[in-house]
Amino acid sequence: MKILVCIKQVPDMESRFRPDAAGTWFVEADLAFRMNEYDEYAVEEAVRLKEKLGGAPELTALSIGPDRVLEPLKKALAMGCDRAVHVKDAEVQNKDPWQIASIIAAYAKDQGFDLIFTGMQSQDRGSAQVGGFTSELLGIPCVTTLVGFAYDNGTIIAKRELEGGARGVVKLKSPALVTCQLGLNTPRYPTLPNIMKAKKKEIVTLAVSDLLKAEHLTKTTSFHPPAKKGGGVILEGEVPDLVNQVLGILKERTAVLR
Amino acid sequence: MIKDEATLNVMVDTISQFVKERLIPIEEQCSENDQIPHEIIDEMRELGLFGLSIPEEYDGLGLTLEEEINVVFELCQASPIFRSVIGTNVGIGALGIVIDGTPEQKKKYLPKLASGEIIGAFALTEPDAGSDAASLRTSALKDGDHYVLNGTKRFITNAPEASVFTVFARTDPSNKGASGVSAFLVDKGTAGLSLGKNEKKMGQWGGHVCDVIFEDCRVPADALIGLKEGVGFKTAMKVLDKSRTHISAVCVGAATRILDEALRYAMDRKQFNKPISDFQLIQAMLADSKAEIFAAKSMVLETARKYDLKKNISTESSCCKLFAAEMVNRVADRAVQILGGSGYIRDYAVERFYRDVRLFRLYEGTSQIQQLIIARNMVKDASRS
Repeated sequence: MKILVCIKQVPDMESRFRPDAAGTWFVEADLAFRMNEYDEYAVEEAVRLKEKLGGAPELTALSIGPDRVLEPLKKALAMGCDRAVHVKDAEVQNKDPWQIASIIAAYAKDQGFDLIFTGMQSQDRGSAQVGGFTSELLGIPCVTTLVGFAYDNGTIIAKRELEGGARGVVKLKSPALVTCQLGLNTPRYPTLPNIMKAKKKEIVTLAVSDLLKAEHLTKTTSFHPPAKKGGGVILEGEVPDLVNQVLGILKERTAVLR
Repeated sequence: MIKDEATLNVMVDTISQFVKERLIPIEEQCSENDQIPHEIIDEMRELGLFGLSIPEEYDGLGLTLEEEINVVFELCQASPIFRSVIGTNVGIGALGIVIDGTPEQKKKYLPKLASGEIIGAFALTEPDAGSDAASLRTSALKDGDHYVLNGTKRFITNAPEASVFTVFARTDPSNKGASGVSAFLVDKGTAGLSLGKNEKKMGQWGGHVCDVIFEDCRVPADALIGLKEGVGFKTAMKVLDKSRTHISAVCVGAATRILDEALRYAMDRKQFNKPISDFQLIQAMLADSKAEIFAAKSMVLETARKYDLKKNISTESSCCKLFAAEMVNRVADRAVQILGGSGYIRDYAVERFYRDVRLFRLYEGTSQIQQLIIARNMVKDASRS
C-alpha cells in the first residue's frame, strides 16, 4: 500500500503581513514559516493509518516550494513518514491552485498511490481547491473536510463536518483523496530523537519545470490589508451640550446641513 | 556549530510549540504545588529532552553546544524549573561521565540518562566548600577494592529525584589542594548514602534541592570516574566550562520571556490616556533589556561555536555566565518596575520570574567567582606571553 501526504509551508499566522512590490503577495523576508495546520492533521492521520496497519504502507510526504520547505518535510518524516519529495520551486507563490494540483497530479499519476491526504485548505491562500483539483486530474474520488476517518481493506468511511456542526458520513473505495479538517485528530509532537533519525530518510528533489505543464486559470491581481476604519468619536457631556456638539460636527464635517 | 540547519529548526519549532501548549499553561500550578506533574516529565522524556548533549552512540541526540543552546533558548521561555529537571542530565549530572568516564561507565549510565529513565546529580558543593570548591572535605578512602565515602554535600539540585550522583571527594587526605580530589559515581540506594530534607527556596519552586550525606558509604573501585585518582577537580572544571555556557543560555531564554511579559503589559496598560509603552522612561527600560539580551545571546552563541571547535572556553564561559546571570536579574528587575504594583503580585508571571532568576547569580559559580576566573585567566595568559 502506498500513501501520499501533500503539505504546504505557510507563514506563522501571528506574523505581520505586508504586500510585496507587485502587490499580489506578501513580503516573505523575516517571516517565520510553519507547516500548514490542516496538513498537520493530514500527516497525523496518515501516520496513524500506517501504525494501525502494522507499518506496512509506504508514506511519502510531498511539498512544493523553495529550499525552506525542507523543514516541514523533515517534520513530516519525524512524525512518521518514510520518504519525502521536494518539488523545488522558487516561484510557488505565483502559481494558482490549478497549477499546484497539476504538479501534484503529474508526480502522483504513475506512482500507484492508494490514498492521498491533504489539508482542507492552506492558511495563507485559503482556496481549498488543490485537493479537489488533484483528485479530478487523477480521476479518483475525493472527500473534503474530514473530521473522522476509518479505513478497512480498500474501503474508506469518512466523516465530514457540515454547516452548523452537522455531520455527514461518506463511504468510498480507494484509490481516493481526502482533505483534513480541524477536529480530525491532535497531531503528535515530533520527538527530538525522531527528528534526528529523519535525517537518514530519503528526500527526493524534483524540478518543478519537469512536472508543470498547465497554464494558470486564475490570477491574483491584488493582495492588501483591509481598509483601516477611522476611529469613532465619543462625545461627553449633558444632552443640550451633546446636541450642540453633534450639530457642530454635522456642519463642519458633513454636507448634511448645507 | 550547526550540523543541519533545517533539522535544528524543526527541533526548535517543536520545543517552542511544546513550551506554549504544555509548559507555560501549568507553570504557575507547578510553582504553587512545588511539583511538576509526572505526566509532564514523561512527555519531556518522550520528546527526548533528557538526551540533548549525550552522544548518539549512547542513545542521546549528540547535539553540538551551539545546537543545544538554541534548544535551551526556546525551552527557557517557560519557567526555569522545567529546564532544571533535564538540566542535570544534559549538564552537570552527566557531563562528568561524558567527558572523563570509562567506556564501561558510559555504557552503564549514559543511555539511561539520555532517555530520562534515571536522573543524574552533581555533588560538589559542601557546607564549608562553596566558592572554594577545591577545599572540599568529603573523604573517599581506599579499602581493598572499595572506597569509603564520608561527608556532606549541600544544595544538590535534583538530589531527591536522582538515581546517580557524581560525587567529588578527597582520595588523598594529605593533599589539601585540588589534586587530592577524585570523582565517583554513586548509585541511589547505596548503603550509607542518605538525603537531607528538601530546602525551602526563594524561587524555582517545583525544582528540588537537598543535602546528600555519606556515612561510611562503600562504593566499588570501578565507581571512580575514568578509574583515575586526583583528577576529579579537573573533571569538575571541564564540566563547568560547558555547563556555564548552558546556564547562560538559560538566562537568555528566561530574560526573553520576562521582557516579552513586560512589553505586552506596557502596551496594554494605560496611564495618562496612553499605553505606558508610549512613555520614554518605560521605553528606555524596554530598550536596555532588549540590548542586553541581544549582547548575552551573541556571547553565548560565540562561546558555543568556539567550544564546538574544541577550543578552550574557560574565560569565555565565565564571561557569559557573569554577564548573562547579572543581565537576567536586571531584566527581571526592570520588568517588575514596568508592571508597577502588579509586578509585586503573584498573579503575574514576572513576580515569579524575579524570584526564580536570582539563583543564576549564585549557582554553578557566583558572579564573583566568574570575575575571579576571568581575571586570573587574563593574568595567566599575559604572563605567559
